[in-house]
Amino acid sequence: MPRLCDICNDARAIVRRPKTAQSICKECFFHVFETEVHNTIVDSNLFKPGDRVGIGASGGKDSTVLAYVMKTLNDRYSYGLDLYLLSVDEGISGYRDDSLETVKRNKEQYGLPLLIVSYEQLYGWSMDSIVAAVGRKNNCTFCGVFRRQALDRGALMLDLDHIVTGHNADDVAETILMNIFRGDISRLGRCTEIATTGEGYIVRSKPFKYAYEKEIVMYAYLRRLDYFSTECTYSPNAYRGYAREFLKKLERVRPSAILDIIHSGEAMHVAKDVQLPSLDRCQRCGYISSNSICKACVLLEGLERGIPKLGISRTKQDVEAGPRESDLVHFEKLRQDALEMRKTRQNSAACPQSACACRSESGTENCS
Amino acid sequence: MCDATDSPAMELPPKGRAEGARSKLCLKCKTAKPSITIRRSLYCKDCFVRASVSKFRSALSKSRKRMPASRAQVMVALSGGATSSAMLQLMADYQRMELKGFAAEPTYTGVVVGHVDESALFSGYSDSQICDIATAIGVECHVARLEDVFTLGGDQAALLELVHATIAPGTTRDQFCVQLARGDGSTPAREQLRALFAGLGSATDREDMLDIIKSFLLAQLARQAQCGLLLLGDSGTRIASKLVSLTSRGRGFSLPLEAGAEAPFLGSSSGVTAYRPMRDFIMKEIAFFNLWTAQPSVVVPTFTTGAPETASIDRLTEAFVVGLDRDFCSTVSTVCRTVQKLELRPDALTAAQCIICSMPAEASAQAWRNRLTVNVAPKDQTLEQVAVSSADVQPPQSTFDVTAHLCYSCQSLLHFAKPGVALPAFCLQNYREQIAGAKPSDSESDVGAHLQQSQERLRQQIEEFFI
Repeated sequence: MPRLCDICNDARAIVRRPKTAQSICKECFFHVFETEVHNTIVDSNLFKPGDRVGIGASGGKDSTVLAYVMKTLNDRYSYGLDLYLLSVDEGISGYRDDSLETVKRNKEQYGLPLLIVSYEQLYGWSMDSIVAAVGRKNNCTFCGVFRRQALDRGALMLDLDHIVTGHNADDVAETILMNIFRGDISRLGRCTEIATTGEGYIVRSKPFKYAYEKEIVMYAYLRRLDYFSTECTYSPNAYRGYAREFLKKLERVRPSAILDIIHSGEAMHVAKDVQLPSLDRCQRCGYISSNSICKACVLLEGLERGIPKLGISRTKQDVEAGPRESDLVHFEKLRQDALEMRKTRQNSAACPQSACACRSESGTENCS
Repeated sequence: MCDATDSPAMELPPKGRAEGARSKLCLKCKTAKPSITIRRSLYCKDCFVRASVSKFRSALSKSRKRMPASRAQVMVALSGGATSSAMLQLMADYQRMELKGFAAEPTYTGVVVGHVDESALFSGYSDSQICDIATAIGVECHVARLEDVFTLGGDQAALLELVHATIAPGTTRDQFCVQLARGDGSTPAREQLRALFAGLGSATDREDMLDIIKSFLLAQLARQAQCGLLLLGDSGTRIASKLVSLTSRGRGFSLPLEAGAEAPFLGSSSGVTAYRPMRDFIMKEIAFFNLWTAQPSVVVPTFTTGAPETASIDRLTEAFVVGLDRDFCSTVSTVCRTVQKLELRPDALTAAQCIICSMPAEASAQAWRNRLTVNVAPKDQTLEQVAVSSADVQPPQSTFDVTAHLCYSCQSLLHFAKPGVALPAFCLQNYREQIAGAKPSDSESDVGAHLQQSQERLRQQIEEFFI
């Protein structure tokens, strides 16, 4: 006799839920997964009606499921959000070009407008050319630093209020462990926050903060979502690899461990006398930074001057002081443009035909 | 001079720290040939032992400055393992020095040993071996047995027995229901203890329960021996893996109490303060200290001795931390510093204590978990059905729900325990004390009265759903 679902006691159970080890049916799985994400969104007051929300879409499993679930929940619970897909093209052939094809298909499947910003176009360097210049070591630093800025730039081009990313519970738990191992107390305090409180910058949040990676894969599989699954062709982060491997073993010992780690991380309280870095604006591009010149500008200068170790190794090579001729569009300019867009939109509120598609195109042009 | 083949067994310090290697002499006395490398520094035997002694003393005095104990008698918790044996010798040595008259008045009036005998669960060594370690050093040894936790109130005392800890289909919340069970005195305490451990769900849970019982017994021993201070032999390596393991078990809320350098032991009401003066030693240092000072110790077995690393969370984290420290040699000290930078959240100071582990229980822990592990079928969401299902799970008269008195982690512990498991007697004591906090008397009928009150509260909450 087939085993019945532990939750509805009616349909046949087809999956063993990684988070709770219950045997449940397909419909109940969809229901609990979506409801938990909904609970996360509601409990942390992530959005308000009318928000323009960009979904950071890479074409991978997390962001594909995120796009699907966000659209589903927005319709089901009437959040009243304007959803957009926002992709970053790092310029890694054999990896990103293929995954972007997936995003383009998602755009059609979910009927969401899409904007792609590329490293090439923003910084004048693609990851392939960066790797050619710096080698395979440390190239992840460039990619990570540039991606963060690229998303913010893309968000301003679309005049978004909020970016959601597909970071899942495994990622959060891993980060907590990594910050413990490295003794990075200021990050340990911040890494459990569901949304970053950007001063004047676009709020960024992780609705999948409590969703297990395995369940996201399961969801994508059972819903037959179209996603791209290949590891990046360049090397992964070694130290994170340790934490990841440990977490996987821990999950095998006790499935609830991932959630338990996040619970612990949220309950930890950083002693008051621990110094936290203060935030400032970059003198060159206006991006938020804890130094006078932001990491992206330092790395770019290194690339342009032919000393790619600048900003990575601790050798005595100084950044040139003060503002410098840069190809980067200043953030103040982007913000002005966004403001303009908002005004135009408010004026043309009478015309309900949303100019999403053309806006995303013109946004792309603004930047080049 | 720089030839690496001089001492092939020794780890070579990396470039940039070559001073010690070039001279190949002890870092401290700069005359003797070094015998050991600790964190890339070379020491000779004598200097290493001396450095260990002063490291212990400075840790002790730092802790005393930050949190003085209420009474000056010290209890050294001795499992017989390497770290606690080394700690006993260091503490006894410190006390001898003070008594010799270097200090006008000794800081501590006396030193005794507290030992919890685990022979009910593990064989391989006897408590007389442990007492020998203590008597060889010349201190009195107080012993408690694990099974004592079942005879605290006499052979026939009532215990809390788990009825069910369940996510019943259709309920919106977990329930942890217990009932009072009176022992008939026929089951020996040792058997009751074994039944408790057999009824727990996994090796991780058994380790957790063992820690809880040992802590309770140590606190009791310390109180009985009039000790205000308890020294715990957690090495740096142990504290680092404990931090990771406690985090992985969802104990972040009480972490500073459980792994900090100095903390009230088992809640401020116990009157005992705990120090962890061995936190600056890594296991390697302790092993060499014991070797060179001829300090005997025993191998203390655990539930996962000899088991693969995925046998339990403790076993896994230990293997991982030791491995990581091998690759990145400052991991242990970095993680230990992280512990010191964490402090209790303000609400932890006023939170109710968990009746099992005596740690602060976060009030909203269960609600948090339930929002994130949804357990309701799509069709069960109408109000009517919620009312029906809530009525279904009203506990029968003789049982009561202790969910609100359990911390997040102990909820997990009970979740996978077998129904019918009898909890140690102190759980009932703790429960009574919490209820008595609201009403000043503690007889069994009050437990019943409390039960009715809570039933009434529950009923009021869902009243509007009744037809």
